Amino acid sequence: MHFPIRRKKKDSPAVYAAGQDIKAPKRKSRSAQRTRRGKLISAGYLFPSAAGVLLFFVLPFMIVIYYSVVDNPISKQFVFLDNFVSVFQNAAFQQAAKNTLTFSFVAVPLAVVLSLFLAMLLESKMPFKSQFRTFFLSPMMVPIASVVLIWQVLFHYNGMMNEVLALFHGEKIDWLNSNYAQVVIVVLFLWKNLGYNMILFMAALSSIPKDILEVAVLESATPFQIFFHIKLRYMSSTILFVTIMSLINSFKVFREIYLLKGEYPYDTMYMLQHFMNNTFGRLDYQKMSAAAIMMAIVMVILIGALFLTENYFGKDVEG
Amino acid sequence: MMDLLKKRKNLDELTEKQFDSKIKRQKKIRNARQMVRICLATTAAGCFAVLFLMPIVLTITNSFMAASEISANYGQVFATSDTGGKMFISKTVNLKFIPDMVSFSQYITVLFKSPEYLFKFWNSVVLVVPIVAFQLLVAAGASFGFTRYRGRIKEIIFFVYIILMLMPYQVTLVPNYLVAQWLHTLDTNWAIWLPGIFSPFAVYLLTKYMRRIPVSVMEAAQIDGAGEWQIFRRICMPLCKGCMCSIAILLFIDYWNMVEQPLILLSDPEKHPLSVFLSKINSGEIGLAFAVATIYMVPPILVFLYGEDYLVEGISYQGGIKG
Amino acid sequence: MKKNKRIFAAAAALTGILLSVLSGCGGKEDTGETKKPEGLIYVPQYAQIDMDKDSYVYAAAAAGDNIFICAQKWDEAAGTSSNFLYKYKIAEDSSEKLALEMDENSNVSNMTIGPDGDIYMVVNKNSYNTDESGEITDASQTIELWDISPEDGSVKEATDVTEFIESDSDYVYVQNFCIDGQGNFYLYDGDKGLHVVSREFQKVCDIDFENWINAMAASKEGDVYIAAYGNNGMELRKVDLAAKAMGNPIEGAVEPYGNASFYTGIEKSFLVSVSDQVSRMDIASGEKEDLFKWLDMDVNGDSVRYAGELSDGRIWALVNDYSASGDSSNELVFAVQKDASEVVPKEEIVYGTMWVDYQIKRNIIDFNKKNEKYRITVKEYGNDDFETGLTQFHTDLTTANCPDIISLNNINYDQYVSLGVLEDIYPYMEKSGLNKSDFVENVMQAFEVDGKLYGVLPQFYIDTTMAKTSLVGEKTGWTLSEMLDFVESMDAENIFSYGTRSSIFYYCIYNNIDEFVNWETGECSFDGEDFIRVLEFAAKFQDDADYNYNNEEGISSRLRNDRILLFQNTITSVQEYQMMQGMFGEPLSFVGYPNSERQGNLIQPSGGSLGMSAKSDKKDGAWEFMQTLLSEDYQNALVSEHGSNGFPIRKSALEAQFEMDMTPDYYTDENGEQVESPKTHWGWDDFEMEIMAATQEEVDAIKTLIASASKLGTSGSMDTQLSKIITEESEPFFKGQKSAKDVAGVIQNRIQIYVNENR
Repeated sequence: MHFPIRRKKKDSPAVYAAGQDIKAPKRKSRSAQRTRRGKLISAGYLFPSAAGVLLFFVLPFMIVIYYSVVDNPISKQFVFLDNFVSVFQNAAFQQAAKNTLTFSFVAVPLAVVLSLFLAMLLESKMPFKSQFRTFFLSPMMVPIASVVLIWQVLFHYNGMMNEVLALFHGEKIDWLNSNYAQVVIVVLFLWKNLGYNMILFMAALSSIPKDILEVAVLESATPFQIFFHIKLRYMSSTILFVTIMSLINSFKVFREIYLLKGEYPYDTMYMLQHFMNNTFGRLDYQKMSAAAIMMAIVMVILIGALFLTENYFGKDVEG
Repeated sequence: MMDLLKKRKNLDELTEKQFDSKIKRQKKIRNARQMVRICLATTAAGCFAVLFLMPIVLTITNSFMAASEISANYGQVFATSDTGGKMFISKTVNLKFIPDMVSFSQYITVLFKSPEYLFKFWNSVVLVVPIVAFQLLVAAGASFGFTRYRGRIKEIIFFVYIILMLMPYQVTLVPNYLVAQWLHTLDTNWAIWLPGIFSPFAVYLLTKYMRRIPVSVMEAAQIDGAGEWQIFRRICMPLCKGCMCSIAILLFIDYWNMVEQPLILLSDPEKHPLSVFLSKINSGEIGLAFAVATIYMVPPILVFLYGEDYLVEGISYQGGIKG
Repeated sequence: MKKNKRIFAAAAALTGILLSVLSGCGGKEDTGETKKPEGLIYVPQYAQIDMDKDSYVYAAAAAGDNIFICAQKWDEAAGTSSNFLYKYKIAEDSSEKLALEMDENSNVSNMTIGPDGDIYMVVNKNSYNTDESGEITDASQTIELWDISPEDGSVKEATDVTEFIESDSDYVYVQNFCIDGQGNFYLYDGDKGLHVVSREFQKVCDIDFENWINAMAASKEGDVYIAAYGNNGMELRKVDLAAKAMGNPIEGAVEPYGNASFYTGIEKSFLVSVSDQVSRMDIASGEKEDLFKWLDMDVNGDSVRYAGELSDGRIWALVNDYSASGDSSNELVFAVQKDASEVVPKEEIVYGTMWVDYQIKRNIIDFNKKNEKYRITVKEYGNDDFETGLTQFHTDLTTANCPDIISLNNINYDQYVSLGVLEDIYPYMEKSGLNKSDFVENVMQAFEVDGKLYGVLPQFYIDTTMAKTSLVGEKTGWTLSEMLDFVESMDAENIFSYGTRSSIFYYCIYNNIDEFVNWETGECSFDGEDFIRVLEFAAKFQDDADYNYNNEEGISSRLRNDRILLFQNTITSVQEYQMMQGMFGEPLSFVGYPNSERQGNLIQPSGGSLGMSAKSDKKDGAWEFMQTLLSEDYQNALVSEHGSNGFPIRKSALEAQFEMDMTPDYYTDENGEQVESPKTHWGWDDFEMEIMAATQEEVDAIKTLIASASKLGTSGSMDTQLSKIITEESEPFFKGQKSAKDVAGVIQNRIQIYVNENR
């Protein structure tokens, strides 16, 4: 089955209200000089931000790179990759990398799928839609500290979860000090982030052109087909965006773990951020720099891959 | 003939009637199905909503419990909490929604007896508001720069922004610290403000939104003699208003919850925002934690309720990493 | 295009602001880096006063061109005391000794200068008769106010003022005395309050004030102010004669905590000296002008007895100091302003510490006085907030702000050695001819890291645990299971005098963390049998919060009755060991802390250990100072009567210490015979004893103890992280929620992460 894919029109009513002509301008009136000046001016707009980013993010990052190839901040002997090797061989780092990867690979897809499910749920006809939307967004507002407070109460050895388990004659589980710890933080992560992702998906769902869906129904496509061949296709860029945002947020889960269990939690909750945070606390800059750079490299590769994927899938639908 | 015709008409009527009723029946079935589906969907959504709302409700209701009730319920969890003398601590942890007795003692302590909480609240405001305002301002300019006259160099810079934005805070932690040390801003609010203001997050979201505005709109204005400033001020900004609001909300919530930055960059606990204080409250003053948390939730809730529509609208137009 | 210009301007402005912020901050850094003294600076100048040795100074004050010092001299041989007034003529730099005619039982308690330029003294006169048995009968006391001529020290007028000071106590002493601009006398008796008497000796008023008045002084303006502890620490209040009360505290006038001294000012209201800082203060404007630090004048701020301002802008101070050997000496020092160009600059060596140890302070002052080339300046981090200061200290160590000499008291030695912050000092010792073999080798070795020593430690003591030899046998260490077997086999009430769970943890784990963590291989054994046994053992003890510290029976008697088995303590001297033996009532063994090598006795440094910054550019200067701590003279000066600060590290000094401990004191009894007298008294809890000269056996026992120690105590440098995890996770076991094995598993898991990360 093939449906005509149409370009989305994104003309805002505000534009018309401003009484502007939206037709493409005629080429003749643009002189090269004007373009050059325009480029300069637009660079001027960019300048404050670029200068700030350079000063507060890029330049310091260079220092981090420098720290990662010297032996210590005092003698500053060049040791090339020694720090990377020692960090890479560090058992705690390996554990942290493994945990971070596992967590991201479990939590991020789950966040995408579940929020898409929630969005579809709210898409269907039902009462109190906007109220539900507000409810799902509400975890964003709760201060992390009180979330942690509640989570501690829920997942304590004598807490509510174990009482519920006891109702079903289950064994008590030490949630935060066993291999179940990852489950706890995945749940926490989903709880915090589903709402925001859901809104993104709702927006994407509502922007799928209605006529295409109608044509599909007329041609008696099954809901299954409609979902996979039209909706997902149209939302591919949103899916990637949600993935990126979830990835960012998956790194922020450190804050919750830290507040739950401090610098050294049970080993399945020990993240790369713990490693970096703790080595920083000990002023072990070279170790932490090496770890940070390794993490950054993995991130660049990951983002690059996502970028290419979007280029590949998103080209035929996005403008 | 007439008879025949009449008969025919009757027949027609009959079939029409039959047809109608058939359709009605079908509709009924469909309606019933739809009703079931709506009910199912609503219950599902309702279940989720309960799960999502529980922590907020718990925090708020528990803030009306007296300290003794709190320590009786949660004493097991916060073993280190010093409740002063011997107190009844229940064997299991009770998650209670409704206080045994409504008490305002937590609020009285927080609001009137110990002004430190209000000081810290004010610290939070002082730290967060300038970041949100100026990051938006800087980002507005930068996004405009990224949108107008796109070129290879700008694309590379934009990619760098994306990478920087995605770095976990721990990666930028040492850089931030070193720069603060170098600028002698350690232990001052500037150490938090400056990196916050120039954070690439808002630039990224806003650029993506701005690039959706058809190029033709701006070019048309240019032909009509509008300068870059006018395009920025009269066309871009009004169009981005909703998006800016949504970003402001996101930024506000994000920075309102910051813990690591003040802990590392401000060694003077007097300057710490309430979020840091709240994160440490678990061990010591559990009896007050809920009231402080509730008060702490007020600004995000207000911002949220006021700007929810903007948020939803603004978020809707984000999407797609490249923009 | 006007608008474009505007945006350019805006961008330029933003950049400008950014750059100015940067350059402004950069500028700040520059001034911090190159701190060359400019303009006028204060330098010390010493005055000649020919005072008798061992005179006790009662008071000192400046009047006109003279400084008057009132002192009493105790004549040991005759058993009498005599009082003198020294008149130091500033212009001539010479002093004159004027006699003060006073009875045997009289003394001067206060002295001040009146507005008329005369010297006023408060004199305590005591008289009593003794009956046949030597009991004192009909004691009486009068307090007189003397008006003394500044010319020749003659008494112009002596008035009995006892009647003005009504006190409930038998003995009245005027704590503080001063004269206001009208010539009224203010007398504070330390009990009932402040009494004000007019120049004509009419009672003006009594002011009741319940708080203890710490200091009282007249301001330049002629008002009298008091400093007293109030609700917010030290507060300065004006004495309000009209209201007959103390005024309200003057906000921000004094540091809330810190021993402030006030002297009548000449330029501003007061000259103030708070701990080390000298400043001028103006009451009306609240303005404070910091002048200098005592330490920069080579003066120990704690030893300044009296100080004041002279009309030529100089500051004088009477310093009373005790040398390491205990001799007291008085010195008159002036802080004189000089143009910086006239002062020969010395190379500055920064000593960074949380707080200056008093012994180190004395060393610094001596060093600065004598050394021509270098000068030690002190950077104290711990003055404001401890946590903030400590963080600042630690961060400075790894940056360009690193002090040249680092106090090792508050840092983790091993960590900073591995960070490369500290310099190996063995090469320096060799260069200065300090032989490694002259020092107690096993102690030095304990501080070595890979054969290198990263600090000088003038003194050390031994952290140990004692038990009756009759119970444990002769040993200097035991394993954990041996210890537990022993304790469990005994039917004692408690293991320690204050045996709580945390003390069990401290004894069994924290001070021997190496037993459970192998830093070489990264292996932890918290899930092993030993740790589980410790947990189960600790469960028998009470939580710290529940422990009742008021045991009606004393420690000594509980030890003797075997109600408690072990006594944890540090051994800093032979005398301490003598007392411990007395407490046990029978021979004792230093079994120490349990570990698998049976090396129970742990070494702890004391007396201010110093390290040298590896990146200092004045290492030679730093070493020149550091080596004084190891020098023969200094080490010998550490030998003291009681040795409560620890053992000197130099072998010869340690021997001298033992020698002193073994030398008996004698007194001559009524028959004219020499009888050995106790050297001192020591006591602990219910126990007290006279300490006689140590026997050879006792000294030998201490020698064996020192020789047996080869490990450092780890509790001081141990990361609190470990104890945090252990306390947090063992709690459910103590509350009976989880088994010891489960708890040990969790502890092992979390600590393993910590250990892996730190390797």
